[in-house]
Amino acid sequence: MRSKTNWWLTALLAVLSLTVLIPLYFVVVTALKTPDQLGGSGFALPTEVRWENFADAWRMTNFPRAALNSALVTVGAVVLTLLTNSMVAYAIARNRHRRFFRILFIYFVSALFVPFPILMLPVAKQTAFLGLDNQAGLILLYVVYGLSFNIFIFTAYIRSIPRELEEAAVIDGASTWTVFWRIIFPLLMPMNATVGILTCLWAWNDFLLPLVIVSAPEAATLPLVQHAFQGTFQTNYTVAFASYLMAMAPLLIVYVFAQRWVISGVTQGAVK
Amino acid sequence: MDQRRSTRARALAAALTAAVLAGCSWHGDQRTTLVFFQFKTEAMQYFKDLAARFEAENPDIRVVVDNVPDAETALRTRLVKGDVPDVLTLNGNGPFGEFASAGVFADFSRDPLLRDVKPAYVEVLRALGAGSPGAVNGIPFSANASGVLYNQDLFAQHGVRVPRTWSELMSVVKAFEAKGIPPFYATRADAWTTLSPLAPLTAQTTAQSFFTERFAGRTTFEQGWREAVDKLGTLFDHTQPNPGGTGYEDGTTAFAQGKSAMLLLGSYAAPQIRSSKPKFTIGNFALPATDDAARTEFVSGVDLLVTAHADGDHPAETRRFIEFLMRPQVVQDYAEAQVAIPALKGLKNQDSVLALADEGRTSGFMDHQFIPAIPLGPLTQQYLIDRDRTRYLRGLDSTWDRVAKRRTWGLGAVRR
Amino acid sequence: MSFFWMVLPALVLFLVFHTIPVLQGIFYSFTDSAGYGAWDFVGLSNYTALFSDERVLSAYLFTFQFALVATILVNGIALALAVGLNGRIRFRNALRGIYFVPNILAILVIGYVFNYLFSNSLPEIASALGIEALSTSILADPELAWVGVLALAVWQAVAFNVIIYLAGLQTVPAELYEAAALDGAGPWRRFRGVTLPMIAGFVVVNTVLSLKNFLQVFDHVVAMTNGGPGTATESISVLIYKGGFQGGEYGYQIANAVVFMAVIALFAVVQFRVMRNRGVSHA
Repeated sequence: MRSKTNWWLTALLAVLSLTVLIPLYFVVVTALKTPDQLGGSGFALPTEVRWENFADAWRMTNFPRAALNSALVTVGAVVLTLLTNSMVAYAIARNRHRRFFRILFIYFVSALFVPFPILMLPVAKQTAFLGLDNQAGLILLYVVYGLSFNIFIFTAYIRSIPRELEEAAVIDGASTWTVFWRIIFPLLMPMNATVGILTCLWAWNDFLLPLVIVSAPEAATLPLVQHAFQGTFQTNYTVAFASYLMAMAPLLIVYVFAQRWVISGVTQGAVK
Repeated sequence: MDQRRSTRARALAAALTAAVLAGCSWHGDQRTTLVFFQFKTEAMQYFKDLAARFEAENPDIRVVVDNVPDAETALRTRLVKGDVPDVLTLNGNGPFGEFASAGVFADFSRDPLLRDVKPAYVEVLRALGAGSPGAVNGIPFSANASGVLYNQDLFAQHGVRVPRTWSELMSVVKAFEAKGIPPFYATRADAWTTLSPLAPLTAQTTAQSFFTERFAGRTTFEQGWREAVDKLGTLFDHTQPNPGGTGYEDGTTAFAQGKSAMLLLGSYAAPQIRSSKPKFTIGNFALPATDDAARTEFVSGVDLLVTAHADGDHPAETRRFIEFLMRPQVVQDYAEAQVAIPALKGLKNQDSVLALADEGRTSGFMDHQFIPAIPLGPLTQQYLIDRDRTRYLRGLDSTWDRVAKRRTWGLGAVRR
Repeated sequence: MSFFWMVLPALVLFLVFHTIPVLQGIFYSFTDSAGYGAWDFVGLSNYTALFSDERVLSAYLFTFQFALVATILVNGIALALAVGLNGRIRFRNALRGIYFVPNILAILVIGYVFNYLFSNSLPEIASALGIEALSTSILADPELAWVGVLALAVWQAVAFNVIIYLAGLQTVPAELYEAAALDGAGPWRRFRGVTLPMIAGFVVVNTVLSLKNFLQVFDHVVAMTNGGPGTATESISVLIYKGGFQGGEYGYQIANAVVFMAVIALFAVVQFRVMRNRGVSHA
């Protein structure tokens, strides 16, 4: 009974998955067309492929620069988030009996419900004043603003780790730092995967924060560049779609190769 | 299995780190960097090339051209940060007046460069707003003429003459509809384009003093704008079928393809139209709003002005760049390329689009007197969809009063 | 004490880059500042003006309507898909992988694609099929434009929620289903009686987070309609951004943001209460 496959259900789910695939198909075919092949429903395959769309988009959006900025911000945000947020969560999770840490937990987590527009302008002012209206500022803000959610899920996980391991290490003379880096941090790997993936998706795809923080065009990330492109070359649809495709491609390619790992990573965080 | 996967992850991380480091150790540049904020989408490439030419002449200066899609918002964001660009191009409109009265821009009133500019345009800028009494916070570079753009070939082909009165305009509309050609191509999806015909309609159907009276609370939009708004609705009754989804870029392209006889946009749209069809002959006539031909006139404004940060870090380099931009040859070349009226004395543009634009007979854009916090464009767009005139005008009146009440700052500049 | 040193830098940074800006924002809500230049204190008048401003009220109405419908649709669809994916099907991993893809994409970028689909392709298809009602772009119709924004939001957000619900379903022991099946319970009763109570915690967290995210909708609107036509699809975040930056009424819109913060907090509290009272043991 267990092994019997429900083919009807499989077929239904496969058909429904077309809702995801069709828009992607549409991006690809449009990016390959010449402008005069547009029109109609637009779902037809290109009769003549125009690869120059990609070259044009590459040049017009200064793609390498923007992709590099996005990569720099994303890698920086993920690495720093993992190193710092887990540590803060560890300190909080192991000191629940202290009032200071309990309040700290509530303080961080309650920020989840503060809408970004309220601090948008002051923080833009502040980062510019500190010379952080650039990639470094974005990294810092992702790390700081991520704290709320990450502490929430890290502490839940840490509390499920038995204290005996740490106590044994402390008896052997290890400091709190050593205990964290040598024992706890490696045990946090499943959670690190979750937080890392979510931070990566956030930093790579975010639009509003770079929109208000970054002012120099050389520091623009991919979504910002797409926004600028949309505003300036609106009717150049085929090139625009080529540039959308190029903006989506890096993460999609990584995902295709790391799909199982990504999904199990996200799942780990959810089950806790 | 796991081992292999983590090796792959490590290789990926190493590659990314290498890429990042390569990005950081970018070329060490000894030149002074000027940030050049450029608002005009249509002239993006033009100013990029111009900046490159300037860099070639001035090897010690690097000009970073910042082209942004939504210039006024982007500039406000920069102002909030105290990050004012060194040199800017802007449209001479209401927001410019607000920025200027905040004292952000340099004062050019005593500048010799301003002496060569046609005085009428200098007055337009001064009236929009200034950081201190008598200041002029920008140098007019080019002006536009906003009426109705028309397809000269189609007009000639069907023996249609340029209308001088509203009734004549309506017969032109009927003539084209009889031939199965949509008279106008609406670009309603971009809310700001709906203001282009509204400006001459309100200018010609209301008294000169309308805005002074409105600020004093002695009149309302509901009283003063009825005729103009009805006529706006009439114009939009004669567009292509399904006008809703078409925006500025799509509309200008369609017009170039001969899909309509006229386009309700100003001379500034000509480069966009010709970008898809360079040899296309476009005419431009003043939109007649009444049956009194003597009242028919273009609406004109400073399409592009050049200004600078009041206390930038590189005044000498900024000065050199502005002097470069204001060279008569540069202004003339720009005017020809962008189909604009050159702002310098003695310069003329012979383009067909500007042939009828008599510089002596124009009125200002009414939306430049509008409080920028009022979403005039979107509200007008809404009216053209639901055609509820009373709701539209009452909405304008109540928003106007409310904004005027809650703002103590920046409105004086708009007030005459 | 090492534990203090572990949290101190984070605390300082959080104070500097989050709490202080929030307090500054609240401060400016009592002024008529444009964000730059001179300003005056205006007391509570920004707040009183908010409640009679039609544009603000319609933004709240749009946002609530959108967030509520989107939350219900996203969670309903995601749960249904997750139950399906958890069934006895083939190619489970491949299908699961495909359903997650929208979550990888930037909302803004895929939003531009949806924008094109809704304004050009869909009307073409509809008029070819003779469906009069859809033959014009729904994004140009003030009554229907929000549906376009909704479609993008649901499409994008279902992806993440499917994976979370699927993880939740896998925590339900198979024996419970077998026992229920022996009692003669049909699929629907098995779902109501066994599955739903077991994953109630996931439902609570997912709906609270979805609602919170959808109330702050921004990218979707910018990509699809930019608030139009007219001001029909201006969400609260979009209005704060547009009015505060484009309109130069920073002080006024920041007052709007303060009110908005209170609303979001209220929603979260009420939601947790209601869900907990419905017999949910853990969240």
